[in-house]
Amino acid sequence: MSMAKPNLESREKILAKLSGRELVNCFQCIKCTSGCTALKLLELKPHEIIKLVNLGLVDELPSSDIIWTCVTCLKCVQRCPQKASPYHVIMALRNLAVEKEAKIPEAYLKAVSQILETGLIETPQKIVTRKMETLDRDCLKLPKIKPPKESFQAVFMKAMEEK
Amino acid sequence: MKTAVFWGCCILTGQYAYEMSLREVLPRLDIELVDLRESVCCGDPIRSVNDFTANYLGARIISLANLTGLDNLLVPCNRCHFTISEAKSNMNNSPKISRRIRALLKEESLEYNPNIKVWHTIDLLHDFVGLEKIKKTVVKPLKGLKVATHVGCQIIRYSDLGRVDDAENPRKLDDLVAAIGAETVNYAEKLDCCGSALLRSHPDSALSLAGSKLKAVQNLTVDSLVVSCPDCQLMFDVRQKDAGTTVGAKLSVPVVYYTQLLGLALNIDERKIGLNLNQSSVDQLLSKIPA
Repeated sequence: MSMAKPNLESREKILAKLSGRELVNCFQCIKCTSGCTALKLLELKPHEIIKLVNLGLVDELPSSDIIWTCVTCLKCVQRCPQKASPYHVIMALRNLAVEKEAKIPEAYLKAVSQILETGLIETPQKIVTRKMETLDRDCLKLPKIKPPKESFQAVFMKAMEEK
Repeated sequence: MKTAVFWGCCILTGQYAYEMSLREVLPRLDIELVDLRESVCCGDPIRSVNDFTANYLGARIISLANLTGLDNLLVPCNRCHFTISEAKSNMNNSPKISRRIRALLKEESLEYNPNIKVWHTIDLLHDFVGLEKIKKTVVKPLKGLKVATHVGCQIIRYSDLGRVDDAENPRKLDDLVAAIGAETVNYAEKLDCCGSALLRSHPDSALSLAGSKLKAVQNLTVDSLVVSCPDCQLMFDVRQKDAGTTVGAKLSVPVVYYTQLLGLALNIDERKIGLNLNQSSVDQLLSKIPA
């Protein structure tokens, strides 16, 4: 069995995304994990993620399902006494997973292509009411949805290429 | 006051009751809504893929608001409100991000305006309109009604961004409920998350979170759960049955938007505020509204 090796390059990539947040200040008080919404259900332990990133042990995290268990309730950002913010670290790890072409939940990629296509992540739905009427925006006299200008697509793609 | 309004995806594509109730209720409180030129994503779902683009999309919404010439922007969705607020903070604090985003915006002849104030439904009603004005405008106080409130996560955290209410003890939604004559209860699960963000990766866990909270609310024997976020409404109202199945409970909790409850107190026709669209047992609630 070989020991995991630190990957300082990936560690730097993550730190670069955390403008102003000092991960090294984390003293493992575990306030984040004790209040984590995803702890009980999915065993997310934010303090462990911070520790691994601090040690540079970041090769396995982007391909692990654990980074996709965060509910984004932001309690860890709020409660961290050291402003280390596990939430932002997890988001940086998700970005790294995309960069490394690791397996990521399909719904996220679908959101990107939907925005490209229509500007929104979903198409307007018809609602079936409790009395089984089928209603859409027109029936409800709601204004038409206005798609983005044509210029949007190209600039959106350009933004997606930035790291 | 005239304010620009950005609806986001969730409201425009399915949570019509929130849009309808806001469009009905706000003009009666002297707030005029001006829609943006485009309906486009705020950036939230993109943050997991590329956080720079999320900031760009958030800043782009403010730039679209800038085209209206108004200084105020209402963002009724919690998730959009957070994404746009964080983009605003990054534009303010990171010259590097700000420079790159302004350059992208310029390609569409858009201009970012840091002075646009971003409101959510809750603080617009509580801080700008004010409880006194709401009390005076109410024609049918909802006396005898007892409800539980759910403010959601992203409009109260994290405080460094400047949020709508206190992160650990939010009171504004409760105050707003009291202003229309109803009563609220305090409960241990008040700050628990609806789970919606997990729908994309772990749908069963998402439903389990929603189900656990609904079960707790059901045990309070209140008349309704009151929310102010389309994602929370989606979980608690539209997905209530599935959530119940996931946690092994038979759930029957009427879930409404605060703006729908306010609409009832302003004596607006039920269909105009979309009460026919809620999927949960709101008839149970409606039967308790004083005639």
